[in-house]
Amino acid sequence: MSKVVRTVAPFGPQHPVLPEPIQLKITCEDEKVVDVVPAIGYCHRGIEKACELNDFPKNIYICERICGICSCIHGCSYCEVIERLFGVEIPPRAKYLRVIWSEMSRIHSHLLWLGLLADAFGLESMFMQFWRIREKILDAMELTTGQRVTQSVSIIGGVRRDIDSEQQKKCIDIVREVKKETEELGKVLMNDYTVKARTVGKGILTREQAITLGCAGPTLRGSDVAEDCRMQGYQAYGELGFEPIVEKDGDSYARAVVRLRETLQSCDLILEAFSKIPEGEISIKVKGNPPANEAVFRAEQPRGEVFYYAKGNGTRNLERLKVRTPTFANIPALLVMLPGCELADVPVIVLSIDPCISCTER
Amino acid sequence: MPKMLPTIVRNLFGGPATRLYPVEVRKPFERTRGHIVFDDEKCTLCGGCARRCPAAAIEIDKEKKELIFYPGRCIICEVCAENCPRGAITVKEEWRKPFYEVPVEVHHPKGKKEKAS
Repeated sequence: MSKVVRTVAPFGPQHPVLPEPIQLKITCEDEKVVDVVPAIGYCHRGIEKACELNDFPKNIYICERICGICSCIHGCSYCEVIERLFGVEIPPRAKYLRVIWSEMSRIHSHLLWLGLLADAFGLESMFMQFWRIREKILDAMELTTGQRVTQSVSIIGGVRRDIDSEQQKKCIDIVREVKKETEELGKVLMNDYTVKARTVGKGILTREQAITLGCAGPTLRGSDVAEDCRMQGYQAYGELGFEPIVEKDGDSYARAVVRLRETLQSCDLILEAFSKIPEGEISIKVKGNPPANEAVFRAEQPRGEVFYYAKGNGTRNLERLKVRTPTFANIPALLVMLPGCELADVPVIVLSIDPCISCTER
Repeated sequence: MPKMLPTIVRNLFGGPATRLYPVEVRKPFERTRGHIVFDDEKCTLCGGCARRCPAAAIEIDKEKKELIFYPGRCIICEVCAENCPRGAITVKEEWRKPFYEVPVEVHHPKGKKEKAS
């Protein structure tokens, strides 16, 4: 009888499917994965410490750079947590504008991910098609905020720019177009038999495991748990009638479907927000230094829940700023999903949690 | 086949989705944050921009009466332009071209401070 040999294969930190560095030490028995040990710490930048050394209004621009893809939501979340520290309420129009820009960045993040998923299978053309749609959303961002990726549009006390009626009309056209095209392309991607062969039943995370491991975002909702921070109704979500999107299977396919459906839902949310947006001020003046107090804020990013904690001490600098990002919550789930799968399925399963390592390590 | 026909026709006459950059450059949107420009006639070296800049891209030398701007550090956040009391900083739509050497702009502002009445 031949003896099964165990080998340890390093996956990353440089790997074609990973845009960012994370290493997984994968122990294999023949072609089967039996154990995974993650190693992180390749792109730590010390952002939390930098935020303590900087003046608090300047931190918005550092926090936006925690992540390149969800930068708008990071900026909004930082502003929200400081507003809570001050105990001020921003004008309703600013809340709606923040929701519109946050949802735009969700669409752009999910389309980017769907493109990367197609690329991981080798569907190069599909990858470019998704990114072509994404380009329209980036144009809408540039039109309204002035920048494609790092919007820098949130300030403490509201937002810096308004969307006038002409821009609004253009944005509505773009969002409708994006929705139509994503629907068409999504059908092609999700009904493709090669995609199904690579994702259905691969990387299963059960409902109980997802809850026990404290997963977040589409990883959690793909395992039949209706949990989304937008349900709390922060900013203007409470007035938009938000319902979380849930899939039952808990495999890579379910997580992809959640993201695809969320893209379409975000388009609807933007259209609804545009129809309900009130007139009025877009920002209020916030004077003074943050008081010696604490505040927390939870927001839903494209990848899951982001948690902001800020502690002031009455000076221009914060005593402490803590950020907990969704990928950090989703890495333990990987260690449950991977054992038992084939080595060739590892890239797709790793991609299915949408890892954002620069967020995680900050 | 009939299902595919509209897509085929669209792709045949739709033209490419990409541009031949840098030969063909897209016109930037109105109010895109491209780069910042200083107006030496208006600036009074008050230093508000240097204090507020999150990237430390602007330095003020009061003795030499110079404003030193490091375009490589600038993150084009528009904070300086928004807060300039004289309107001496404007944001232009065009993005800067890539550079091979780190550029440093030295300005000699000539604006005069108005006396408080």
